[in-house]
Amino acid sequence: MPVEMSSRRSSRITDEEISELISKLQSLLPESRRRSMSRASAAKLLKETCSYIKSLHREVGDLSDRLSDLMSTMDSGSPQAEIIRSILRS
Amino acid sequence: MQVTEAFKHAFLKQMLLGFQASAVSTKSMGFQERKNAIKLSADVAMAVARGSRKWTRGLIAGLSEERQNRSFLRLILGEQYESLLKPCHSSWKIPRCKKIVRRSLRVCWRKQKKNQSGVLARTLVEKRTQELKRLVPGGESMDGSSLLDETLDYVLSLRAQVDLMQSLLTTFEASKLSRSGWRLKGRGKAKAYTVVAWEEHVLWRKYMRRR
Repeated sequence: MPVEMSSRRSSRITDEEISELISKLQSLLPESRRRSMSRASAAKLLKETCSYIKSLHREVGDLSDRLSDLMSTMDSGSPQAEIIRSILRS
Repeated sequence: MQVTEAFKHAFLKQMLLGFQASAVSTKSMGFQERKNAIKLSADVAMAVARGSRKWTRGLIAGLSEERQNRSFLRLILGEQYESLLKPCHSSWKIPRCKKIVRRSLRVCWRKQKKNQSGVLARTLVEKRTQELKRLVPGGESMDGSSLLDETLDYVLSLRAQVDLMQSLLTTFEASKLSRSGWRLKGRGKAKAYTVVAWEEHVLWRKYMRRR
């Protein structure tokens, strides 16, 4: 999402630019996390972003667990193995 | 960053190659070992599918720090491995919007600092920024505007990783169920397997095209 910035002579940062930055960070977060933040400060946003990244990491770990369970019972003749082979052929 | 069909395909293919390379379907493998191999394959796949970014280089470098990962990385990445480990030199030419973003961040930080008279204690924003730097791979060496850019890209890639692993899991689980369904009906095992596998394959391709 590129942000179009008009040319500026003055070096002053407007409130508009700051809220643009904040909305960009906010758009990263899923709807459920955004609702509770009415007037988000930079610190709050950074905190939410950090906690969102951590929850995504946990999800990946959990999915790895579940895939591990499935792969342990997989033999070369199973449908899963065939699915794997067909994706690798593509 | 757009999660394209090309990205999804590259990710899945790369992850499955990783599974093969680490032989995750070996029965004698311990649970933790298998899980680590799967997660490693998934992370490498995400970096490879995304291509060259600060965070993808940071991710590969971080994984290389553990000795047991190195032979796997060398095997999977081949020539790419060495080039991915080279430190990247950030361009001196910073686009205007990035300059403004960096200034905005600095103003946020300065506004917070004004409230603390001469105390060396970290502000909340600085503290959170440090935490973000630790979470985004390669973040420690990034400046404010790069960090924002890379965070955005990294989060989108993580979301894609989660979605793709979930869809692979769902397909596997579905194929397992239909297989046992066939058995219950008492049909010839060899024929049943082929039919089921083909149906799953077709469903999978349809599913991929739709997403």
